[in-house]
Amino acid sequence: MKATRRNFLIGAGVVGGGLVVGFSMRGGPGAPRLQAVEGAYAPNAFLQIGPDNVMRFYCPRDEMGQGVTTGLATLVGEELDVDPAKLLVEFAGVHEEYGNPAMGGVQATGASNATSGHFLPLRQVGADTRRAIVLAAAQQLGVPAHEIATEDGHVLVRGERHPYGAFVETARTLPLPESTPLKSESQFRYIGKELPRIDSLEKATGTAVFGIDVDIPDMHHAVVQRSPVIGGTVVSFDARRARAMPGVVGVVEVASGVAIVAKQYWQAKKAAEAVRVEWDLPPLATVSSRQIEADYRHALAEEGESAESEGDVAAALAASRTVEAEYWAPYLAHAPMEPMNAVVRIGGGEAEVWTGTQALGIARGLVARVTGLDAERVVAHNTYLGGAFGRRATMTHVVEAAQAAQATGKPVQVLWSREDDIRSGVYRPASLMRIEAAMGADGTIAAWRAKRVGGNIVPGILRQMLPGLLPGMSGGVIDWAGDRVDGLFGGWLVEPTAVEGLAGDYDLPNREIAHVTKDHGLPLTFWRSVGHSFTAFAKESMIDELAAAAGDDAVDLRLRNTASNPRMHNVIRIAGDRMREMRVPEGRALGLAAHGSFGSFVAEVAEVSVAGGAIRVHNVLCVVDCGRVINPDVVRAQMEGSVMYGLTAALHGNLEVENGAIRESNFHDYPILRMNEAPAVEVVMVESREHPSGVGEPGVPPIAPAVANAVHAATGRRLRSLPLRPETA
Amino acid sequence: MTEFTLNGQVVRTEDDPGTPLLWVVRDTFKLKGTKFGCGAALCGACTMHVDGAAVRTCTLPLNAVAGKHVTTIEGLGTPDDPHPLQRKWVALSVPQCGYCQPGQIMSAAALLASNPRPAESEVEDAMAGNICRCGCYPRIKAAILAVADDFLAEEVVT
Repeated sequence: MKATRRNFLIGAGVVGGGLVVGFSMRGGPGAPRLQAVEGAYAPNAFLQIGPDNVMRFYCPRDEMGQGVTTGLATLVGEELDVDPAKLLVEFAGVHEEYGNPAMGGVQATGASNATSGHFLPLRQVGADTRRAIVLAAAQQLGVPAHEIATEDGHVLVRGERHPYGAFVETARTLPLPESTPLKSESQFRYIGKELPRIDSLEKATGTAVFGIDVDIPDMHHAVVQRSPVIGGTVVSFDARRARAMPGVVGVVEVASGVAIVAKQYWQAKKAAEAVRVEWDLPPLATVSSRQIEADYRHALAEEGESAESEGDVAAALAASRTVEAEYWAPYLAHAPMEPMNAVVRIGGGEAEVWTGTQALGIARGLVARVTGLDAERVVAHNTYLGGAFGRRATMTHVVEAAQAAQATGKPVQVLWSREDDIRSGVYRPASLMRIEAAMGADGTIAAWRAKRVGGNIVPGILRQMLPGLLPGMSGGVIDWAGDRVDGLFGGWLVEPTAVEGLAGDYDLPNREIAHVTKDHGLPLTFWRSVGHSFTAFAKESMIDELAAAAGDDAVDLRLRNTASNPRMHNVIRIAGDRMREMRVPEGRALGLAAHGSFGSFVAEVAEVSVAGGAIRVHNVLCVVDCGRVINPDVVRAQMEGSVMYGLTAALHGNLEVENGAIRESNFHDYPILRMNEAPAVEVVMVESREHPSGVGEPGVPPIAPAVANAVHAATGRRLRSLPLRPETA
Repeated sequence: MTEFTLNGQVVRTEDDPGTPLLWVVRDTFKLKGTKFGCGAALCGACTMHVDGAAVRTCTLPLNAVAGKHVTTIEGLGTPDDPHPLQRKWVALSVPQCGYCQPGQIMSAAALLASNPRPAESEVEDAMAGNICRCGCYPRIKAAILAVADDFLAEEVVT
């Protein structure tokens, strides 16, 4: 991505309480006329410098807790020579300039690639902008540019200190420099330093604005009655009682059910209970977990599609004792703390949408599709995301808000309940995996045959995203495309996320990876660390099982078999050395697991005890190599959080399907790790000059197998099913 | 008509007395700092103080606070004048997504008000009702214990 000089129509939309919620650069004919911040120098899509030296950074990626505003402000601030904490961060509107360079230009945030994708482009933006200010200062002050230095938003020249803002008038008249040389590492003032996050004060004082907090004039509230089985459609509904209830202004059918629109949320909620809906249920309604598991087990016998095949696995398996095991991972919900929500306002041939999303352009496209407006006439505003983990790329709630606003003529906020979130969402696919492996006489892994049975996420993701990415494409074409992709992955090709991580980290000269697609109709999507969230459990459990069967040390085995993967080898060595030094109290044991994902390498050691059928994780060591670290404390926080997220899945996470409906509904039966169960986490970062790689997800995959390996060490019992339940072993 | 004190000011509302306090505060009084997470008093995102005690307001009907003193995160501290817990939250970069943090801080403030020197296990027990999906627990705990230490240091000095 290259920032180009443009005459942007840039401005800040001011909504309720002086809240700056975003801006539009295109400002199509019907869009609000947004102006550049008065007098500001806007050399590109990302930076605006005011004459008052207020500097705004339009952050192209979405802040869902991963610290991306801090990280990207650090990149741009480093080269601009401004303390990142002094940049006013705004969430960018929809524009091609804000596309994700690591996602082919789609304006989306995910796959742990914000830092790697923007590391050079945003620094270039900062460097070119700083250079523009220096050249303007040189001209204005009549001083050669090479005599001018900069420091924290100020030009230093001949003992004087001038704010950048003093030169924006002149800068505007000069051509924008391009390809300005970037700083060398020794010049870094902010990159790699222990700096606090820039959004903590807002978040600690309740002033940070999430989607749920958006409030616009005359805003009404909608609650949607949904099908008990996902995908059910409304046959008829009786809303006579609901319509007579206080505050209710409309009861309207929307794509996913019946929306009850009222003046207040609680009025809509109460009225929704009085609406009776008759549903036409999809084939999923005949499916239950028991059958899904049985189908998967049956499918393991199928040959499946080959994802990878190297060497002669059959010969190697025949030559030595084979260890074989099956591993299960269930369906999971993301359960971000902020339930799904969106605000849509339609009127005067235009529309606006506010939602905290991982893909703002899709939100805009969905509103365009529902309203029939050109996307150019829809303004989309992002907010802070109250957690996402892959969930906030799917936006049924935006469609619902648009349909409810369209039908009632009112600005509408749709808010999902927690029950909606657990029961009507999109899910991490369940997986059954079998691995057969054998050790050679020299201690190397002689054979590795792995197979995964389960659903694919890409067809569903296409169905969920195409309508918003391509609002002009007809629904029929999208269904057709989704079906073709289904067919492609259901018998011809293996979807990469279905098997990613089943074999990647070790030297496996003889290996076969295969896949059998089984889709029972539950909508599937990305879930923090995607395929790695289940494959690492199988792979790293099997490594320990192999070691145990061979009487080998599991850390040594890992080290011996990672010769061609030096960064993986290194994190295993560091974690393994530390593990050998750990002295654990009586009744506790240690387990290690390592996994590479999103370009990063992570090894984790878990210290656990098992008592009364319950696993307690006391301490976790996390060793991570994520290339060059932009902000060590943000990396530390992401590893801590990944361990907790992964532990919820390892110890509690489980969704059961009963006649097509999700049985769980709220935090009493879909428990999330709480503080009194949380381990202490120590994070060790490998010093590296490699290009930065993923941080938000790679800490998740190793924790479940590390705990399973520790439980085996503590009890002798091998748990091969998630969540880990010692009493059922 | 229900009357109660909200962050030190007497307020009145015609809202249905059965409406959970959370929605009255958010939608009628437009204080959006307190969050909705579960609607069933399971996650603590909606925690406010009622007469000083931490209460889950997503299930607390409005009429239960008639005549009482309600404090929200906005009443605890502001960006210009933050509460010691809020300062420590910033110093330790506690929040990730930040959504649960107002509830966490209100629970922590109630704990420290009743027990200024909690043991680590007391912090864990008092905070077990507040879910953080981002998993900020080690930092939340560290921040609470650090504020308690600061209180003690102040007492020693003064």
